[in-house]
Amino acid sequence: MLNRTIQPPVNPIEHIDIVQAEKRLLSNGIPVHFVNAGTQDVVKIDFIFEAGTWFQPINLVASLCNSMLEEGSEKYTAAEIGEKFDFYGAYIQLIADQNQGFVNVISLGKYLPAILEVTENLLKHSVFPDHELEVLIAKNKQKFLLENEKVRTLCQKKFTQVMFGDAHPYAINNKLEDFDKVSREELIRFYKSFYHSGNCHIIVAGMVDESVLNLLDKHFGGNDWQQSPIKVPEYAICSDPEKRHWVEKANGVQSAVRVGKFWVPKTHPDYHALSVLVTILGGYFGSRLMANIREEKGYTYGIGSFILTLKQASYLVISTELGNKNVEPALTEVAFEMRRLQTEPVSENELETVKSYLLGEFLRDFDGPFALAGSFKAINDFGLDYSFYDNYLHVLRTITSEELMKLAQQFLNPEDCYTVVAGSKLV
Amino acid sequence: MIHFERTKLANGLTVIVHQDKTTPMVAMDVCYNVGSRDEHPDRTGFAHLFEHLMFGGSKHIPSYDEPLQKAGGDNNAFTSNDLTNYYLTLPKNNIETGFWLESDRMLELAFSKTSLDVQRNVVIEEFKQRYLNQPYGDVWPLLRQLAFKVHPYQWPTIGREISHIENATMQQVKDFFFAHYAPDNAVLVVSGNVDFDEVLTLADRWFGPIPNRNVKPRNIPQEPVQTEIREQTVIRDVPNDTIYFAWHMVDRLDPLYFATDLISDVLSNGNSSRMYVNLVQKEKLFSELDAYLSGDYEPGLFVVSGKPSNGVSLETARKAIERELDRMKQDLVPEYELEKVKNKLEASIVYGEMNYLTKAMNLATNEILKDAELINSQVDSYRSVTTKLIQEVSRQLFRPENCSVLNYIAKK
Repeated sequence: MLNRTIQPPVNPIEHIDIVQAEKRLLSNGIPVHFVNAGTQDVVKIDFIFEAGTWFQPINLVASLCNSMLEEGSEKYTAAEIGEKFDFYGAYIQLIADQNQGFVNVISLGKYLPAILEVTENLLKHSVFPDHELEVLIAKNKQKFLLENEKVRTLCQKKFTQVMFGDAHPYAINNKLEDFDKVSREELIRFYKSFYHSGNCHIIVAGMVDESVLNLLDKHFGGNDWQQSPIKVPEYAICSDPEKRHWVEKANGVQSAVRVGKFWVPKTHPDYHALSVLVTILGGYFGSRLMANIREEKGYTYGIGSFILTLKQASYLVISTELGNKNVEPALTEVAFEMRRLQTEPVSENELETVKSYLLGEFLRDFDGPFALAGSFKAINDFGLDYSFYDNYLHVLRTITSEELMKLAQQFLNPEDCYTVVAGSKLV
Repeated sequence: MIHFERTKLANGLTVIVHQDKTTPMVAMDVCYNVGSRDEHPDRTGFAHLFEHLMFGGSKHIPSYDEPLQKAGGDNNAFTSNDLTNYYLTLPKNNIETGFWLESDRMLELAFSKTSLDVQRNVVIEEFKQRYLNQPYGDVWPLLRQLAFKVHPYQWPTIGREISHIENATMQQVKDFFFAHYAPDNAVLVVSGNVDFDEVLTLADRWFGPIPNRNVKPRNIPQEPVQTEIREQTVIRDVPNDTIYFAWHMVDRLDPLYFATDLISDVLSNGNSSRMYVNLVQKEKLFSELDAYLSGDYEPGLFVVSGKPSNGVSLETARKAIERELDRMKQDLVPEYELEKVKNKLEASIVYGEMNYLTKAMNLATNEILKDAELINSQVDSYRSVTTKLIQEVSRQLFRPENCSVLNYIAKK
């Protein structure tokens, strides 16, 4: 007779197969890390430049410069570049974050020769045409105005500003008038200084064979796009002494909330154990914050806690959106849940649950070529190697409730946290 | 090409298995043939509210999430106008936990009052977060209401109004469950590192005993043919004016569906698409311009939306869009251009086949539509579309009397 009240036996995850990235150098010294995996004839190539907002002389330069790369090169107009990618069903994705500028290309392997030919031209010989720049700026202005209507945007901006100080590159402080201050010359200067072979590394994932590596060397291995090495500027963090902040957004029915504090870097000995702690707090569906604030009280559609690790700083942030009248009760519960982790050991049952969940997540993080490449990047950016993941697995299998409680006492004090609310004040 | 095996249990549950030994994981997808189109006009948002309740405990299992997490699993769900889809992934050696959990909630929910009370609030917050507190958040509800006067596609899955969710009772929840949640109204897909026989044994063990519930075929009032252009203007606190056009289109199983989809790609998919090149880049009339399908199974909507650039009037914007649509009707699309959008579609299908979970979801939703095999014939269906057919479908589609226009004006 089938007994539906008992869970079928759960088997521990013992064997985890990690395909590690291999390394090659192009003839000019550009490091190429590649993950050969997958069954589909698809290749994803990420060209990564140290060209994020950290390096920009004024606001918007890093992202506009990056976006302009597909807007015209010596050989191809913007329309022709679009035409090539579309015709071969390939994608180019341009992103600039705080530290890096990315040119990511996804293509069927069979069309890679054609796609890399265009990519080479736009990377090495971008021309920044006036007309396209004007269109891009107008578009981004409208997007900016739209984003500024969202409480979550207003809240995140303010949160990074109070954490880092307005002048720090990790603070998001773009203003509408910044769009009028950016010149074409400024973008070209940034492009020349930061998008070159000496400031580039490449990560490739998918069906990567010798022919793919040879193609990369053919198009990007030459000495024709070298510039002098860049100097990394330094910025000091200048946090606001005030812990509680408010951004007014009239006539909203919901407010956005961020609660957070600075965190340890990936190289810290407690980093992994703290990741487990933050998962218990708000890192999965069964977390304390979700169980209490969504599943028990129904205050919000979702609440979570995350660790953001950037090259020069890390922080913990708890984020949610919820009805204006739920803000204060929810904040009380957030503090309550942090305190509870400091004063009550996590039960064996809960700890087992979170460990198993994280092991499952770990399997997912190494499943398939793109996930494998992502997991490699997550260590490579910080100068770490795969032993980082071995250590993580070790911590995951051995961590105890007592250790977690000690860490909570050290790292999860509610009074250390910045709190930012964006929304309409209750009347 | 995705290989799969399919069988039907005695109680009517369709079981589909797709093997992909490259992953250490297994995905399980349970798709129910019920969506917001099956709701009563005075009790909208019910299918979606119900999706939330499916996580509030079942007959023999008080918590859905915790045992799943214990087995290293992860899960989620979504509701559309047409269906409700639940999916999870697990390490392959813990697959039976998925069968245990999904079969128990197909058998019967716990119908807990607390869960209903809490999830009503959660859904109301979701309603606010997605629709009320977002700029342009009410566009879809407005467009659907304008285009559909009879068919239940007129309301969004979240519901027509918050009060419908507030007023949901336990009796209604129970009735809804037994009317729609049944083996004979669902598809189970398992993909990833599994064998067909193993899945079949587990499906028999866990899903086999669930009774067939003789789910009645749906009887949805069909939308009468629209005979004149409809237009609505609203003023909202947003940064920019936007214009939306919605035309009635064919259903998903109509042979003309593929041409319709390609028309939207010719118009706006990618930086080399017509409307983008002509109206965004060259003439600088728009900052954003899109053409897309609503994605409904029954006859849905073909939508064009455009945000005019600063200083461009809605009137000018409208004329520019109409000019591009007229070209689709008057001239044949060049062979090269059609070839391009077909290539792009084919590549995107290959990209989608890289992931075992995506494959499970595509198999399940196509089986609910009609037949999982459709995912393997779609490339040929797209490839066979001719430039002549593109023109014919454009003429059929872009008629003023088939169109609803929404002028979304920014409050000054």
